Amino acid sequence: MDSPTAQFVTSRRMGIFEPIHQISMWEDFKVDGCQIASASMIVEVNTKIDNQSEDSSQGTPRSSNKFHQGTSKPPDKVLRRLAQNREAARKSRLRKKAYVQQLETSRLKLVQLEQEVERARQQGLYVGDGIDTRHLGYSGNVNSGINTFEMEYELWVKEQDRQICELRTALNCHVVDRDLRSLVDGSMKHYFDLFQMKATAAKADVFYLMHGIWKTSAERFFSWIGGFRPTELLKILVAQLDLADQQVYDVCNLRQSCQQAEDALSQGMDKLQQILAETVAAGQVTLAMEKSEALVRFVNQADHLRQVTLQQMSRILTTHQAARGLLNLGEYCQRLRTLSSLWATRPCEPA
Amino acid sequence: MQQALPYRTWVPPTSSSSSTVVVAANSDNPQPPLPPQNSPNSIKTRANLQKLVSENPVIVFGGSGCCMCHVVKRLLLGLGVNPPVVAVDDPLEVAVIRELAGIGGSDPQFPVVFVGGKQFGGLERVMATHISGELVPILKQAGALWL
Repeated sequence: MDSPTAQFVTSRRMGIFEPIHQISMWEDFKVDGCQIASASMIVEVNTKIDNQSEDSSQGTPRSSNKFHQGTSKPPDKVLRRLAQNREAARKSRLRKKAYVQQLETSRLKLVQLEQEVERARQQGLYVGDGIDTRHLGYSGNVNSGINTFEMEYELWVKEQDRQICELRTALNCHVVDRDLRSLVDGSMKHYFDLFQMKATAAKADVFYLMHGIWKTSAERFFSWIGGFRPTELLKILVAQLDLADQQVYDVCNLRQSCQQAEDALSQGMDKLQQILAETVAAGQVTLAMEKSEALVRFVNQADHLRQVTLQQMSRILTTHQAARGLLNLGEYCQRLRTLSSLWATRPCEPA
Repeated sequence: MQQALPYRTWVPPTSSSSSTVVVAANSDNPQPPLPPQNSPNSIKTRANLQKLVSENPVIVFGGSGCCMCHVVKRLLLGLGVNPPVVAVDDPLEVAVIRELAGIGGSDPQFPVVFVGGKQFGGLERVMATHISGELVPILKQAGALWL
């Protein structure tokens, strides 16, 4: 399974230059449900295939030779080729859709199997180490709300990666503002979707949310009430942006308001911590549990603050700047994730 | 800059901050409100609440020991506003909310902020308007802020 990945990574870095490789790869993954490739590969294949199929001006590899032969290009041949292209693209899209659906079903089955294995392992019935059961959460508890969240989050990250790619491409190709605007809006909505997911998960296990358990280790380092500090988000968004004077003023005000709101929430958290500590010290664990409910509201308020900050930002910035800013933010998150995995696999000194 | 102290008719309990008032339960009160006494057992009726709301440019109502209340208060303090915070004990919560709904408007939930005699909203609205820059002008207009 490694060679297609390696081949693909190379193709991705080279951009849309390898139509032949990608078409043959796509045909390798027939819709028979037997191959459980990693979802990330498939999404990347999809992106490239979409770019390939929909950009008919590139031509199919087979007819590219014909295209260059001779100076005259009979229009009916061109038309026929375009029609064949469209048909091929349509079929490709349908195949892709069916394959992705099968993949998602398989994925759910896989998670269920992992849970069973972990349960069996905990009961001492099965000793195996080939299966990664991290998805069951740090406490090993089978919490369905959290499991759902983790699955959804993984899909969310893949979608974010795809959107980052789209933003980057759009900015490099200088697309019109209207298209850029829809990308910006889509990107923002994606973040708001995450806040919704978190709100649901917070009811299932708020301590899990608070510590950002679902994130990679480097991301967790920056965790403040279950996510980035809003002031941090602002900093990343405006980095290296060329702002007009009025915008500089507005961003400054926004940063100050953000800081004030953040501080207020932090102080509220401190107070809650103090109350909880006193309650637990007094031996009132049940009462402490009730008071922990307040944490759910804190997570919700923190996410709400992140949301209104992003919204205000998008009002201050032009569409182009907003696209740039969101790209900054997305890439920042990606780099943190890379940092986490590099750190996890760094060579350790022998004991 | 010195802010005018919010008008208070009850002596606050010594333990909490200077602008917190505690509302305790009192079983029956058929008569109109008694003149304020030096005791935390004063009775809140709609008239009293109305008085509080109209006499203070900004006032916060919340549950006792509520940390969200604390957040609202710290945020407003950071802006230079020192609002009285009415901490409502658990048994009275439902009644007070009902009365406040009668005064202000729509479906208040603790913590709830009243600005200029009208219900402004909860923590979410305070934060959203602060981030969008609308809060400070509103506070100034209500006379809670001078600058």
